[in-house]
Amino acid sequence: MHELLNDPIDVIVSFKNNRVVPHAMRWNERDYKLEKVNLVHTAREGTKRVFYFSVSDATNYFKLKLDPEILEWRLVELYADG
Amino acid sequence: MRMDSRIILHIDMNSYFASVEQQANPFLRGKPIGITGKNQKRSIVATASIEAKRLGVKTAMSTWEAKKICPSIILYPGDPEKYSDITRRFNAIYRSFTDRVEAFSVDESFLDLTEEATDYLGAAFMAQAIRERVREECGERITASIGVAPNRLMAKLASESVKPNGLTVVQAHEVLELLDRSNLEDLCGIGGRIRERLSDLGIETFAQLREFPVDRLVEAFDSYGVWLHEAAWGREIEHVTTSTPDSPKSYGHSYTLPENTNDLTILKRYLLGLADKVAWRMRRDGVAACRVSAYVRFADFSGHGEQRTSQEPLTDGLALFEIVWRILRPFFQVAPSRLVRLLGITASMVCPDPKRISLFKKERRMRSVLSSLDQLQHRYGAGIWKRAGTLQAEFKSRSSGFHFDHDVP
Repeated sequence: MHELLNDPIDVIVSFKNNRVVPHAMRWNERDYKLEKVNLVHTAREGTKRVFYFSVSDATNYFKLKLDPEILEWRLVELYADG
Repeated sequence: MRMDSRIILHIDMNSYFASVEQQANPFLRGKPIGITGKNQKRSIVATASIEAKRLGVKTAMSTWEAKKICPSIILYPGDPEKYSDITRRFNAIYRSFTDRVEAFSVDESFLDLTEEATDYLGAAFMAQAIRERVREECGERITASIGVAPNRLMAKLASESVKPNGLTVVQAHEVLELLDRSNLEDLCGIGGRIRERLSDLGIETFAQLREFPVDRLVEAFDSYGVWLHEAAWGREIEHVTTSTPDSPKSYGHSYTLPENTNDLTILKRYLLGLADKVAWRMRRDGVAACRVSAYVRFADFSGHGEQRTSQEPLTDGLALFEIVWRILRPFFQVAPSRLVRLLGITASMVCPDPKRISLFKKERRMRSVLSSLDQLQHRYGAGIWKRAGTLQAEFKSRSSGFHFDHDVP
């Protein structure tokens, strides 16, 4: 199942070697432990640069968007295995 | 420096868009996937994963055909922004090895390593080092086939000879052997039509092409005959040209409509929207175009394209639209068989924008308005403004095609 979303989420991150690593997120009143960061890429929105984190747990793939100007995280894509 | 003493690398990402998606999403790994546009029913497979290719799916195949051949294929909408970013990333890696990098397409680049590598052994080591850096910085799923040869033509042929993840070194004395075990169409520059015309001359192999009198090739193909003759000997006249993503020779956009139509209002909307996209990119880059090409593809996949040259360099989407409308209007007929499937516009003969001040007040005002809108778009990004006439024309992002530019509405 593949869904495109744009839902605000809460994310727990760590900062290491000038990198942001998401570890867990809360979406729809449920907590998800993010096991792996598979890819990070950026995109421009005008002069603003936003970051996308492709992360996964045991059964789901999530694409998270970080807007560094307002420090907002959104879940923009979900893919559930099976 | 002699041409045959150069050392050129061709690096070609394997099943590029599909590999990037498999890197991002582990649940797609090991599965046949096809990267499509947003509207999957009317889309093509822009890239098939290595697993899908093994099951017979080919690039540019329609999605229904891919499903028919491989029912288990997962059709996945492309994410051009992601691919652009990864492309920028691996080209930056290449530039850390040499400043002579030519980005040939979104997933292919040529590197001239003549000075850096000094010999073919050095080039092979550097190729492995590049591959390792790409793996570290882009991900282990994103692999490349690399060809090393004395020129671009042979390097590309070499890289395509071992896929995926191959490294093929062809030195100057080995190029004829490489050519002789390749088909004519394997060479970049020989497509189906050239292949047929060569066949009409009795030429089926590179050995036959080499022996064919060059004057007869010129008779049949004009100056391209010389190129064919040189290619058959494994030679190429042009060097690797250093490229930057900011120096395009033309600006173009095409779009497959959500549904086939011959409604003139809808066609106008989409053409105006496309013209505005092209014009914005030119103004952003400070250039203007003197030539405009327009093309249309109909539901039966027949098509028509024409171009016009303007005395005045153009930067306004409305001006571009007026030219393409004059070109295409006669072909938008009411007959149902002539329903339009795709529209495209390209602006070429690009020159620096002369920014002439018009004698006419209306044109001066339009220029001023466009300048303000451009500032808005530069600050806030794509989609910040639209002409009222194009409000109902929705352009969905897609992954087919080689050129990506995400600063367009």
